[in-house]
Amino acid sequence: MMDERLLAKTFVELADTLVADFDLIDFLRLLTDRCVGMLGASAAGVLLADRDGELRVMAASDEQVRLLELFQLQNDEGPCLDCYRTGTPVAVPDLCTETARWPRFAARAQLHGFSAVQALPMRLRDEVVGALNLFRAAPGPFDPMGTPIAQALADVATISLLQQRTTQRTTVLNEQLQTALNSRVLIEQAKGKLAERQGIDMEQAFTALRSYARAHNRRLIDVARAFIDDTEPLADLVS
Amino acid sequence: MPTSRSSRIRLLVAEQAARRGARVGVMDVCTAAVASLPVGGAGVSVMFRTGASHPLCSTDDVSEQLEELQLTLGEGPCVDAFTHGAAVLTPDLRTGELQDCWPVFADAALESGALAVFALPLQIGAISPGVLDLYAPVPVRLDTEELADALAFADLATLVLLDTRIDETGASGKGQSEDLGGYRAEISQATGMLTVQLGVGIEEAFVRLRAHAYAHGRRLTVVSADVVAGRLRFSPDAEPTRSDEDT
Repeated sequence: MMDERLLAKTFVELADTLVADFDLIDFLRLLTDRCVGMLGASAAGVLLADRDGELRVMAASDEQVRLLELFQLQNDEGPCLDCYRTGTPVAVPDLCTETARWPRFAARAQLHGFSAVQALPMRLRDEVVGALNLFRAAPGPFDPMGTPIAQALADVATISLLQQRTTQRTTVLNEQLQTALNSRVLIEQAKGKLAERQGIDMEQAFTALRSYARAHNRRLIDVARAFIDDTEPLADLVS
Repeated sequence: MPTSRSSRIRLLVAEQAARRGARVGVMDVCTAAVASLPVGGAGVSVMFRTGASHPLCSTDDVSEQLEELQLTLGEGPCVDAFTHGAAVLTPDLRTGELQDCWPVFADAALESGALAVFALPLQIGAISPGVLDLYAPVPVRLDTEELADALAFADLATLVLLDTRIDETGASGKGQSEDLGGYRAEISQATGMLTVQLGVGIEEAFVRLRAHAYAHGRRLTVVSADVVAGRLRFSPDAEPTRSDEDT
């Protein structure tokens, strides 16, 4: 049963964050975290199509390689690809039944402990720009109340991409998506550098960068760039 | 399976190189862009955060002038694209607000014969070696497809530019540079890790990662996954070492 207070709180929280100079990467991570918290998912990810139509991870509820890999694997086969191509939601209550449809994806997902999966399209007018992907550990039907909420969260994710106004005068969609994807690449580079330097894993590295950005009231992307370029000391980045 | 935009662009650029009878260079990206987009000329400038930027190549006099103007003046779409890491699209330089934005550049560019200017940053995350500038002698707006192609030309220019550095490292260079289509997060994570293992900047780390992949005839994604998993470590003064404990 969906907790309505939690639902209301989440949308207020997301709306509050979605202000003019917001932090896209931090925002989308928050959104995937709330998908997990509210919808009983074990993991969630926002995938965005690049200009080749390849789905790329923009945000995930966990930054570890194995989860990112599971999202990216779906460029060959999987619910996200189907969802992106058809522009309609895909729900699979039990992956065991889909081993013929997606042999590699189903096997890999199960290996990581996921039994059910759902993909919701991220639509902008006539165009599908990506998909919200939810994984659940236990098999079983999806709560019918949950699906419209998941779709609403996918829509909020889409809106946030457009909110990403840079100082540029360009408002061309595919240029904005490209810029967003590039900021994600930058985050991955910073995660790698910090993980290696501190001997921590990719999720810990992401969390450290995000905590630092929040504590200093800066965008994650700016902190990541300063860290990579060594242009600022970034004292106490990891204590 | 339809050919991806990146592969199509790659082919167009390779054709230009073949026509010259040379290996693919940044100039071929410029000539291919001019041949397939509604623009009159193209140029690439190498740029650094420290400001020691210089024009690399251009397809005609107007392009050359535009590159030099911006770097001399320190203003213009190319400078903004580099600073903000986002494309700057200017379909008509006569717009009043642009004249305010780049007061000297706008007039000088119009005088040299450019009415539309598009500046596309060359970038892979924090790696940003320069900018691709396109101009048209008439006002023009790039449509969705054309803009996507222009962005693909810029991405290819980035790789080609970095590949010239791979040659300098002495890696065989026999392999075709790998298409970044099929992008994987591990490539970026491994690049970040190498900055620490090698004690170098992000651009150099990426060059070294790719050089290793070429020299060993392995895919970049596979080499990257090895680095992320700790199976392959680089060191500043020795050959990278492989440990096969968990393969």
